[in-house]
Amino acid sequence: MISAKNLTVTYRSSGVVALREVELTIPERTVTCILGPNASGKTTLLKALAQVINYIGVVEISGRDAKSMLRELRRILSYVSTLEERELLGVTVLDVLLYSRYPVSRGFLNTREDVDKAREVAVKLGIKGLLNRRLSELSAGELQRVVLAAALAREPRILLLDEPDSHLDVYSKTWLSGFLRETSSRVTVVLSTHDPLFASMTCEYFVILSRGRVVFTGSKSELLENIHVLGEVYGVAFASVPIGEHYVLIPLSSETHRAELASRGELSRQKTSCSSSNTRGDH
Amino acid sequence: MSSRYAIIGAFLLLLASTTIPLLYTYTSTLLESLDAGVAERVLAYRLYRSLYAILAGVVLAASGCMLQASLRNPLVDHYVLGIGSGSLFAVYTALLLVDHVSLWALSLSATIGGLVALALTVLVAESVSGSDVAYVLSGIGVTSLFSGLSVLLLHYVVRKYAYASLMLTGTFIHSRPDNLQYAVTALLLVLVGYFTLSKRLNALMLGDDYAAQLGVDPNLTRLLTSLVAGVSASIIVSQFGVIGFLGLVTPHIARFTLRTSDNRLVVPVAMATGSLLLYMTDTVSRALPGGVGEIPAGALISAIGAPFFLILLTRRFRGVLK
Repeated sequence: MISAKNLTVTYRSSGVVALREVELTIPERTVTCILGPNASGKTTLLKALAQVINYIGVVEISGRDAKSMLRELRRILSYVSTLEERELLGVTVLDVLLYSRYPVSRGFLNTREDVDKAREVAVKLGIKGLLNRRLSELSAGELQRVVLAAALAREPRILLLDEPDSHLDVYSKTWLSGFLRETSSRVTVVLSTHDPLFASMTCEYFVILSRGRVVFTGSKSELLENIHVLGEVYGVAFASVPIGEHYVLIPLSSETHRAELASRGELSRQKTSCSSSNTRGDH
Repeated sequence: MSSRYAIIGAFLLLLASTTIPLLYTYTSTLLESLDAGVAERVLAYRLYRSLYAILAGVVLAASGCMLQASLRNPLVDHYVLGIGSGSLFAVYTALLLVDHVSLWALSLSATIGGLVALALTVLVAESVSGSDVAYVLSGIGVTSLFSGLSVLLLHYVVRKYAYASLMLTGTFIHSRPDNLQYAVTALLLVLVGYFTLSKRLNALMLGDDYAAQLGVDPNLTRLLTSLVAGVSASIIVSQFGVIGFLGLVTPHIARFTLRTSDNRLVVPVAMATGSLLLYMTDTVSRALPGGVGEIPAGALISAIGAPFFLILLTRRFRGVLK
């Protein structure tokens, strides 16, 4: 379990308060999604949980203060955003997988275990054929798989992913969604995304941020019951649409929303609300 | 990569690239059948000279690898970042201000000058955008500043120290036995840096946040690397003058040949390449046709390295524009 108490982050250079007194609890072995519009503090929250930025307050991992267990945390927690490697430095896919084992790799040289684990995770994510390719030669989809493989190369218990679905086509997003759900049987996954459809396909638990504050935490069914929260945060109406046994979230254009409400005679009643008439609990 | 055998292979290559040139110098001098008294002195001079070219090549290549990895910038070395001209300016200043200045004092002043110039380049580049091209442009500014001032000082320094003008482009013509301890100090410094920082530099190449989540402090690693690379390159400048572009070219040759970015392998292979390149350049610079005598090795290596730099710059810009 990951919890944050009274978490506040202020960026010294700009003086911007990116997170204000955030309180939340993230359940173990689930996929948790952090939603919120631009500049709501999603990336900052992930960075604070990953202990890569300074913050005020407390982050606890399984009941222990994260700051007091940093060395262990580097072994059990992977935080992944974008790779900043610039072209012409020649970083290959295998390099990234091996470098990402830094906290668990002993000594100066790579061990047999380092190389075996890197190859194992490459097979698992279908990037074995890319191992000797340079990062600059990869497509966005391939790069996203590499980033994910790198995060998993040290077999973490907690995986924090900043917008893992960005730049991915529909096929890759669907694959990623399934992969993360499968991974969550062993690993606690926390991700941020801008795509409510991807979030609702993938995540069981939701944290919604608005201007640095937590405005909602709860399970998917609780979110579907309180779908108006999304509308209030994004300023766009959302609908939950049943697909098989699941419900997915889709944003509605304002015309669609109004037309739908009008056809149901609910326009006057829901004029000021952004909640969808189709809101239902998840099964 | 960087298994035990790969690293052993890289160090064997380094060993070969440093010993074979020395052996070549030794045997070729003996084969010249010079007079006994002269032969001894010629051999000693040539061996020292070859050794310094080799050590300078090794140190500058390692320094270039470390600077490129720590700044995630493929376009830099000690020369592009202004360390070379900053050191030279400090050396000239010391020569001008102090009578009978020791090599130790020259090394110290070069180190201070080099680090100040590096700090200036980083400050300006980071205040602009922190991009790799910003570093190059900022480095050009700082290099121009200190080069200009150095040329100005040279007119006064050259009256006291006749060889001072040769330091502008780097040369091994005035190799003496007492340069040895400084060249070896610089070598030891980069070796310590190699063994303690290579793995952290690998993590740092993927980004500051990426390195931090792996437990590598990006700012501390960059500071330590800058100190190791800056001080070692400055010491070389204080003894032999400014030798540009070698530190820029050799890491790329190593990465291209090895097809990896792993600094545990790239650094020793770049050092081997630097050793061979500078030794060969120094040898060629003494044997140019037309009876022109000797030209500074630094000038020749710039003529080889600068086009390479321009190719890199073009590729980088194409990458940006893609």
